[in-house]
Amino acid sequence: MSIIASGRLSSFIMFILMWIATLIAIWLGKQGRISVRRIPGLDVVEEAVGRAVEMGKPVFDIIGMGDLHGTYGAQTVAGLSMLGYVAGLCAKLGAHLIAPMATPTVMPVAIEVVRDAYAAEGKLDELDVETQLPYLSGTQFAWASGVIGMAARLKPAANIMLGPFWAESMMFAESFARAGAFQVGGVARLYQIPFFAAVCDYVIIGEEIFAASAYVSKDPVMIGSLAAEDFAKLVGVVLATIGAIISIAGIEFITELLTK
Amino acid sequence: MVYKREIPLVITFLVGMLAVADYFIPVDLIVDAFTIVKNWALVVVAFALGLGAVNLFRVHGRHISKRTSGQWYFSVWLLLMLVVSVVIGLSSRQFEGSDQYTWWYNSIFMALSSTMYASLCFYMAAGAYRVLRARNLDAVLLLITAFFVILGNTPLLPATWIGFFEIRKWIFDVIVEGAWRGIRIGVGLGSIVLGIRTLIGMETGYLGRR
Repeated sequence: MSIIASGRLSSFIMFILMWIATLIAIWLGKQGRISVRRIPGLDVVEEAVGRAVEMGKPVFDIIGMGDLHGTYGAQTVAGLSMLGYVAGLCAKLGAHLIAPMATPTVMPVAIEVVRDAYAAEGKLDELDVETQLPYLSGTQFAWASGVIGMAARLKPAANIMLGPFWAESMMFAESFARAGAFQVGGVARLYQIPFFAAVCDYVIIGEEIFAASAYVSKDPVMIGSLAAEDFAKLVGVVLATIGAIISIAGIEFITELLTK
Repeated sequence: MVYKREIPLVITFLVGMLAVADYFIPVDLIVDAFTIVKNWALVVVAFALGLGAVNLFRVHGRHISKRTSGQWYFSVWLLLMLVVSVVIGLSSRQFEGSDQYTWWYNSIFMALSSTMYASLCFYMAAGAYRVLRARNLDAVLLLITAFFVILGNTPLLPATWIGFFEIRKWIFDVIVEGAWRGIRIGVGLGSIVLGIRTLIGMETGYLGRR
């Protein structure tokens, strides 16, 4: 009897290979042999915060209403990383950050992330957690109406949305667009990507949101780890092509292998 | 302070590896240990909900005490509704399962929530108008595609000529599905690499800059 759960052997092997690929990519990053393509949606965040400073209006950073566990946990972690980056920029450049919260379990983490970012810039005294990271509601449309109301009243200059979003994504994007905000939207949920693509000035699509913290860090080691994703994608494309050809030929070997 | 960074990283690694082991190697010892961790998480969630309520009281209490223009009366209403909901839930001793709470929830919250959801169609219409203006080749292609999808979605036109429905189906099954699979694979791989970076302590965005 196998020690690995039935039907998960191929996933386990893939996980181990991904781990090895990540470590190799990090090693190559340390050698300075990895460079990644530009992600315009992440490059413009600093410009968006600068615009808010010039206009004297607030910057919104919305991390969605996901939790730290489950299917959308990774997107929430990516959103928190971006929140830390945006908070650091706001503290450094003197912009007023507002990050409405929807998930009670994520809120303490977000508060710590923002507090650390302000502390790193020596501006902790400028942070008012209760008004800058307000808890609005844990239910979808109560939260949505709260955020829409804030957008209409405060007329922010920039809105950065990165994390898991559902139907409220279109409401946010449209409301902030009407308020005249420069918008960057990033989500890995397939149904919401078109909403952000239609309305936001820049959109970060799919797996690019998971690269956000590594990309904005400019750390060669972190950037190196991103190469593992591309390596895995390449392997995936090769396997899919071989699988399609073999399947058309009527050989079920790969299908049987992947179900083990 | 090193401990503020190192201890969370060690906890993340141990719990993360336990979660991975629970998925791939579900032996009793691992499953039981992970169940205990998940129960701890439930307790933390309960405390976090309390934190959210405290935050609401502090923020809106401040608005009320300062009589913030255009805000304080909404704050009074919000806190009143919060207290009444809790009282109704607790007084029946059946919490959200009681008839009183169900009536309260369905009559007020569900009506408002449905109204907000319904308003989405106007946001979508405005967004569609924004994106479907034929300014360049990409927008023209999008406009043509949207035209056929809308025709295929209407009941009358596919009833007169089934081709409208077939074109829409082909767009979804071939063009859209192909793009979605690519994005879906990328998202899966991105999540795995983010998870590995988190487990080995490289992804520290959720810890701040410590």
